Amino acid sequence: MASAVTVNIKMYRVGELGDCFLLRFTSGQEKSHVLIDCGSFSNSKASAERMKEIATDIKKQIGNNRLNVIAGTHQHNDHLSGFVHASSVFESMPPDQVWLSWLDNPDDKKAREIGKDYNNYLRSLRLISQELHRPGFASNEVKNKLDGLMGFHGFSPQELSKKARTESLPPAVPAQARDILQRIGKKKPAYLSPGEVFPLPGLFGEPVKVYVLGPPKNEELLYDKEPGKGESFDPKLAANSTTAQRMLNAMQKISNPGKPDNEEAPFPFYEPFRESGNFKQVWDSYYSKKEAWRTIDLDWLNQAEQLALWLDGFTNNSSLVLAFELVQSNKVLLFAADAQAGNWNSWREIKWKKKPKDFNWLSLMHNTVLYKAGHHGSHNSTLVEGLDNMTHEELVVMIPVDKSDPHITKKNGWKMPAANLYKELKKRSKNRVIRMDDGFSKVKAWNELKGKPSGNSLYWQFEIKG
Amino acid sequence: MATPKYRYLRGYTIDPGFSTRLDTMGVNESVYKIKWEELFPGPIGEYVEVIDFDPANDCFYEPVDLDAKEILAENGLSPSEGNAKFHQQFVYAVIMQTIENFEKALGRKIIWRSNLQWKDGRPDTAAEYVQKLRVYPHALMDANAFYAPEKVALLFGYFQAANRILGSNFPGGAVFTCLSPDIVAHETTHAILDSIFPRYLENTNPDVPAFHEAFADIVALLQRFSNAKLLEHQIEQTRGRLDEYNVMGELATQFGQALETGRGALRSAIGSIDKKSGKWKKNEPNPARYQHCYEAHDRGAILVATIFDAFMRLYNFRTQDLLRIATQGSGILPQGSIHPDLVKRLSAEAADIASHLLWICIRALDYCPPFDITFGTYLRALITADSDICPEDNNGYRIALIEAFRAWGIFPEKVNTLSVYSLRWSPPDLNAAEKKALKLMAGHIKEDVRKIGRMTDRAGIALEYKKVQAKLQRVLVNPAVNAAVEWRREGLNQQDWKSFLKKIGVVTDVKSFTIRHGKERTEFTVNPKLEVHSVRPAFRTGRGDEIIEQVIISLSQSHRIKSGEFKGAKFRGGCTIVLSIKNDLLEVDYIILKRFDSDQRLAAQISYQFGAASLQAMPVSGYDEPGNTHAVNFQQLHLH
Repeated sequence: MASAVTVNIKMYRVGELGDCFLLRFTSGQEKSHVLIDCGSFSNSKASAERMKEIATDIKKQIGNNRLNVIAGTHQHNDHLSGFVHASSVFESMPPDQVWLSWLDNPDDKKAREIGKDYNNYLRSLRLISQELHRPGFASNEVKNKLDGLMGFHGFSPQELSKKARTESLPPAVPAQARDILQRIGKKKPAYLSPGEVFPLPGLFGEPVKVYVLGPPKNEELLYDKEPGKGESFDPKLAANSTTAQRMLNAMQKISNPGKPDNEEAPFPFYEPFRESGNFKQVWDSYYSKKEAWRTIDLDWLNQAEQLALWLDGFTNNSSLVLAFELVQSNKVLLFAADAQAGNWNSWREIKWKKKPKDFNWLSLMHNTVLYKAGHHGSHNSTLVEGLDNMTHEELVVMIPVDKSDPHITKKNGWKMPAANLYKELKKRSKNRVIRMDDGFSKVKAWNELKGKPSGNSLYWQFEIKG
Repeated sequence: MATPKYRYLRGYTIDPGFSTRLDTMGVNESVYKIKWEELFPGPIGEYVEVIDFDPANDCFYEPVDLDAKEILAENGLSPSEGNAKFHQQFVYAVIMQTIENFEKALGRKIIWRSNLQWKDGRPDTAAEYVQKLRVYPHALMDANAFYAPEKVALLFGYFQAANRILGSNFPGGAVFTCLSPDIVAHETTHAILDSIFPRYLENTNPDVPAFHEAFADIVALLQRFSNAKLLEHQIEQTRGRLDEYNVMGELATQFGQALETGRGALRSAIGSIDKKSGKWKKNEPNPARYQHCYEAHDRGAILVATIFDAFMRLYNFRTQDLLRIATQGSGILPQGSIHPDLVKRLSAEAADIASHLLWICIRALDYCPPFDITFGTYLRALITADSDICPEDNNGYRIALIEAFRAWGIFPEKVNTLSVYSLRWSPPDLNAAEKKALKLMAGHIKEDVRKIGRMTDRAGIALEYKKVQAKLQRVLVNPAVNAAVEWRREGLNQQDWKSFLKKIGVVTDVKSFTIRHGKERTEFTVNPKLEVHSVRPAFRTGRGDEIIEQVIISLSQSHRIKSGEFKGAKFRGGCTIVLSIKNDLLEVDYIILKRFDSDQRLAAQISYQFGAASLQAMPVSGYDEPGNTHAVNFQQLHLH
């Protein structure tokens, strides 16, 4: 029989959008420390300073104990930037092991292929954002939206507005962070795949089990030869990456009309059917002042936002999702990183190793007592079916969101947390919600639990026994 | 010299990818037979203007002149992916074919959505009428195509196929969405549906955004199945597996794939090709899906699958005898190819069913409420439309539809049995005074409507529509002085008039509402204005070639919640009234009501727009608030 465990969860207050969670599991005399992500949205000087401050506190919290695990969930600035800005602090307290997803595994052929498409895609988007800052395209509001989304990848509008076209782009902060994480652990990193179940290291008698839920690894797709689907993690990645490349080429051609065409064949037509023939009626219609509302000169740029949103969703779906089960009480802590529907939906199909047949993801949902809300509480990073099944009496929700973040306060800003979802989260947890900015409200329902939340200017914390 | 009746234009039958496969090469070229009209290079005609501007390449492609001798003589340009002029010809052909199907079924002219421009804070009425749907065959460098209501335009994209060898793709080659007849028909249908029901963009219940997608797919799918040549080819290929859904199912699944880059509501609803065996497998109807599925495409797929199911039921029912004849009663076909005569007969049956079903599906629109459509309501509209056109259902269409809807778990509200009798909308229950009031109302517009019915000029019709709508509005709620005189002449008083208005769902007094949502209560009072949404005459032919003359009126009243928790919600009530003209008398056949004074309806709408379901309904980005008060956005719906 496994022994009782106490978990202390600290949500660090990064001061903007960002995730940084330190978990301390105590069983008898033993402790195990797990750090899940450490990052914030911006790479400004102030943000970097804050990350250092937080890393220093993490070191203090661990004290003479070991940092058993660092889990880096996915390649977004707001989850990993701290490992770059406070790299010296982390170097001074190397973890036993780093956990990353199978997608980060350099020895996995599939992961490498995906990585290649991913990097090309990101590069095109970065250059598209630069193009959008040029006067010819500037009136388009898509520019601002894209700037915001590119921030997740660690690019600032300042960099994006640089007039000169940078052919060799410096690696972005999240990529640097991953490099650091891949070498910082005492042991080689563990690259985790869904369906894996293993005991949390550092505690005797296996009182805590770790379940890997995401990112999905759908082998089925390998057999799929239908047109439109490729041998890829997500066939859309390659296709969208090509679309982004095409879009970039087109924009560059328009903004550099003098430049002779490169070797690229004209797209989509080999023979240009242009500027000859009888255009009278066509031009009369298109350029008619009365019909100006029907023109489409800049509409094609809107897809830049769609492409960026798609990559953002893809990256969020590449999140390493972990559930920690306190074996004695079956209580579960669910850290879904920024997983969106694609990731959540894949949990249904997971074939769990060394588990009875009737065990499935819903068993984990039913027993969830701590839910780290996905993607700062945005509405599409919590699957409704998942939430519907979080029925445990003791459910507590932690939302790493900061309402003062400029992306939230700006006009038509990001809706984080989404009002409807926030309401549901409060309802299901009986208002036991801890927010990174405001903390928690003193509702009676806290009295039903053994642990009480508390906090200071650096973090909010909460304890679970089970 | 008399003008020709038709213009013949060559084009693809299914997506161009199928032209480069030996097995489908022969069948993938069809000749589209389009009603003759005068065209300018573009083509620019009465209904559409194809403007081939490619903003990503910053150029116009030379417009095709379909009247050029060398093109006319050869039934248009020959299908080619590399010729922009053919692209223009092809979108024109498919759009015109779709418009023709609608006009035939509805018995009136299509008039596009009005221009939504504002001038000095008021709608700019001078610019309202939009004669031509604008079509941009190469508007986007993207695997997307959509109808943009705010531009009254169709935007088609093109993209580069993945650099890997997949199916019949040419790796790295250009793919044009404007060359897929399914996609073009789908987008055109969005534009037509929007021209009839602009309020179907208001997302008031989970079926609304799903309906737009589903209906567009249904039309495209049934148009595909009306092509006997394509069916012949498909049936011939199957070598005997005729008893099951396979033949048609595969064709429909292909259709789903053609639309895979976003447009398709169908996807894998009816079945899918087994990954390992490569064989098509039917999905059993799952009635639970309608209960739990809120995402617009998935939900739309349920309706498409339901209609397809009805189609299959009819096909199986109507071809049993042929199979018995062909197999000496055993039902088991011998090995080898099927006899070409049987192939012809089977495909003729299927094509016939598809075109009839398409008629019913389109015609049913006139029996739908002007907003807040549900699938169940649509079933009732289908049954009523078909009953009107064909009083005796000797071909089983209505029963097949009812069976299919039942199998997929779609049940209309407030219906006691699933019989034709109770599903059919019922004539209104009016007392003598109310009947007189109705007659009085109808009398005011009868001549106008008849006049419109005789007109052919669309701009003129649009103008007359506006006039008669304004007139009816005055008659109903703003009676001029002589109205009282009129009422007296008919032996009516103001109370009678009010109770008549109430019967047709019009609220004339201040009305207060209470919304209960969880523990919260919101109260407000409104004095709603009446909007006469449309007055449309329709002349149509039934299955037995009888002519039916009808007038369809739709009314609506609305209120927008301006503050508080439910801010932004717009609530509407109103009705569609179907009048028929028999022996020069106007009679009311049906009133399809959506009550404005219904707290229950309001509560359901609010709970959908602000409740838990709102979290999964619309494909908005994670950075926006989901809520369902957003208008349906095709660009987003069509991109994945």
